[in-house]
Amino acid sequence: MIAAAGGRLAPARPRRRLRRLLPIYGLLLPGLVLYGAWAAWPLLNSFILSFTDWSLTKPLTPVGLANYLRALGDPLFWRALSATLGYTVVTVAGQLVLGLGAALLLNRRIPGRSVLRLVYYLPVITSWVIVSLVFTYLYNGQAGALNWLLVDVLHVLDRPVAWLAEPSTALWAIAVLGIWKGIGWTMVVFLAGLQAVSPELYDAAEVDGAGAWARFRHVTLPELRPTTTFLLVVLTIGGLNAFISIFVMSSAATGTVGGPLNSTDVVLTYLWKQSFAQLDLGYGAALSFLLAAVTGLVSLVELRVAREAAR
Amino acid sequence: MRSPGMRRILALAATAPLLVTACLGGGATPSPTAAPTQAPAGPTAAPPSGPTPTPEISGTVTFWNGYAADGDEIKTFTEVVLPAFNKLYPNIKVEHQEIPYDDLRQKLVTGLAGGTLPDVLRADIIWVPEFADQGALLALDTEMQDFQQLADATFPGPLSTNQWKGHYYGLPLDTNTRVMFYNDKVLADAGVTALPTTVEAFEALAAQVQARLGKKVYAYAEGGTGAWSVLPWIWSFGGGVTNADLTSADGVLNGPGTVAAVTKLKEWLDKGYLSPSILGGGVATSEQFGGGTTASILEGPWMPTIFEKQFPDLTFRYATVPAGPGGSASVVGGEDIVVFKSTPNKDAALAFTRFMLSEEAQRAMGKIGQMPVLKSLSGDSELPDYYPVFQKQLETARARTPSPAWPKIDEAISNAVLKALRGDTPVQDALDEATKIVDRLLAGG
Repeated sequence: MIAAAGGRLAPARPRRRLRRLLPIYGLLLPGLVLYGAWAAWPLLNSFILSFTDWSLTKPLTPVGLANYLRALGDPLFWRALSATLGYTVVTVAGQLVLGLGAALLLNRRIPGRSVLRLVYYLPVITSWVIVSLVFTYLYNGQAGALNWLLVDVLHVLDRPVAWLAEPSTALWAIAVLGIWKGIGWTMVVFLAGLQAVSPELYDAAEVDGAGAWARFRHVTLPELRPTTTFLLVVLTIGGLNAFISIFVMSSAATGTVGGPLNSTDVVLTYLWKQSFAQLDLGYGAALSFLLAAVTGLVSLVELRVAREAAR
Repeated sequence: MRSPGMRRILALAATAPLLVTACLGGGATPSPTAAPTQAPAGPTAAPPSGPTPTPEISGTVTFWNGYAADGDEIKTFTEVVLPAFNKLYPNIKVEHQEIPYDDLRQKLVTGLAGGTLPDVLRADIIWVPEFADQGALLALDTEMQDFQQLADATFPGPLSTNQWKGHYYGLPLDTNTRVMFYNDKVLADAGVTALPTTVEAFEALAAQVQARLGKKVYAYAEGGTGAWSVLPWIWSFGGGVTNADLTSADGVLNGPGTVAAVTKLKEWLDKGYLSPSILGGGVATSEQFGGGTTASILEGPWMPTIFEKQFPDLTFRYATVPAGPGGSASVVGGEDIVVFKSTPNKDAALAFTRFMLSEEAQRAMGKIGQMPVLKSLSGDSELPDYYPVFQKQLETARARTPSPAWPKIDEAISNAVLKALRGDTPVQDALDEATKIVDRLLAGG
């Protein structure tokens, strides 16, 4: 960004150029200093840490690529990575579909529209820790509201399920919270996108005899493509980095972060345990860079696919 | 091996601890105490203090503990114990921090990295080998001339939790174990009068509770499958974790006694004697017990005062763990008092440690549920009347495997028992798998 700005200013004489650039850099400086101190410098150090073996009190020893190689052969890491990807796919899809649905409905002139928009947005501004604990109670296997609803009211199940203690359901129960909490934000971004769609396009489509579905399919969706791409990438990064809800709910329900039986271990909870419970800080650092690499790769693929689809 | 590139990485890496401190500690400020974690500390560092404490010792001692804020622990410590200490040592200022148990370990980990450790710590007995292995603790048996005298006054079980590789890195501070609590009302409703002393009798009680009260009331509730939860049953059935010299779990953790215990727990769970809360995701055992949906739980000596506040109408009785082929065995809990090598004020820290083992301090904390470790206080009339059953249980209670890898061993046991109880894996297979993991951990891998 800075390089590009400098390039455009190139023809000016050096002194004038300096005078023009100085305020720019001056204004950028506080941000850069903070970024350097709290992001770049720790990042660099934890990158270095990832090539070492360090358990806080024992002297730090360089181990080259050993941590990275260990991760590649660590079945629990692969398990955590696949759980991370599964969680991401489910939550991103859920937020996109339900967020778009909410946006379409609340884009119409219906009574109580503002109130409904507020209601849908409320989960976004609640605290992760608090809603995680609330959902933990809802999912309780002996006294939870969900079991009461499914067993005693609707009779869908014949006996209660400890949703967060069943290895087959725990991660998906947590994903439901992720979707619920994200719909509002996705909806707001989609609403902004919908309002940018020219009404003339709909008029023209209607004149051509397009029904509601055809208008949605051929006008709304293509016009929302940039919005969708943006959401896809941002939500994916969020999904790959899910931590608080999983940390809070798995430990509250099973006493173990990532429990039961590692079924809710995502890369972040796994590396948290390696770093701060097992004090294996070098390995934890290596895992964090592997996750960063995966996140970058997935985002790139998504952008590329979206660009191809736009052609 | 050591290329110039590697040397550069090393040079950069040397700056990493400072930075990680900043990240981990949040507001942690670099302090002059940052270095002493590495400082060699030996008997030569300061003249060892004699058996009689010198009132001239002065300075500040920081003391981290997990005394509970909701009970009377903090109140008693600050209003009774500390004033008594300061009468003897008017010039030692004890800066005490009460840190909730769950945060305490995290804060210690941060402190280890950043050199912001306390001088004295009330440490969970299972942390001592880990911190000793990290080289962070003073070996009290070489630092205190009167160590043997102090140690001899304590119960051997709690004392043993301070031992690591031939040295004692602390002294016991308080002890506890889990005994059976039986809810009077549930037992009366089920028509049970005598408390069971054997596993067979307990099973008969469970059948009677279910027959009379239906499937909504359990005979026993447990909150998880970790070692603290299931070891009393495993030991009482004659099983265990490792052999006597702590070198191997083979034939013990996957031996007939452990297999029998886990098989029995699974049978009870399947029959509905045991609350499903043992699998996780359920109601806290204390609430099930207080709410009358379970006849019994295993709990510690701190619980009666909590029940008194949470369930004022609740009445209950105590008994030792039902005896099986291995007798009646429970698990030893409690805290040790340890001094960190990084302390700048060793004499004051040791004086405080010594005082915490005095009859005066032990009795004061003992009155509110912190069971004393001094033999001389056994049967003391000022202590709560429910202690005898805990003391009886302590005679046969055992300690968890002292190992720096204990958290991982605990996880392996917890996962194996959970898989077996869920029916995902046959009991023997699940325990065989855990045994392999534990053996690898014991070998240091």
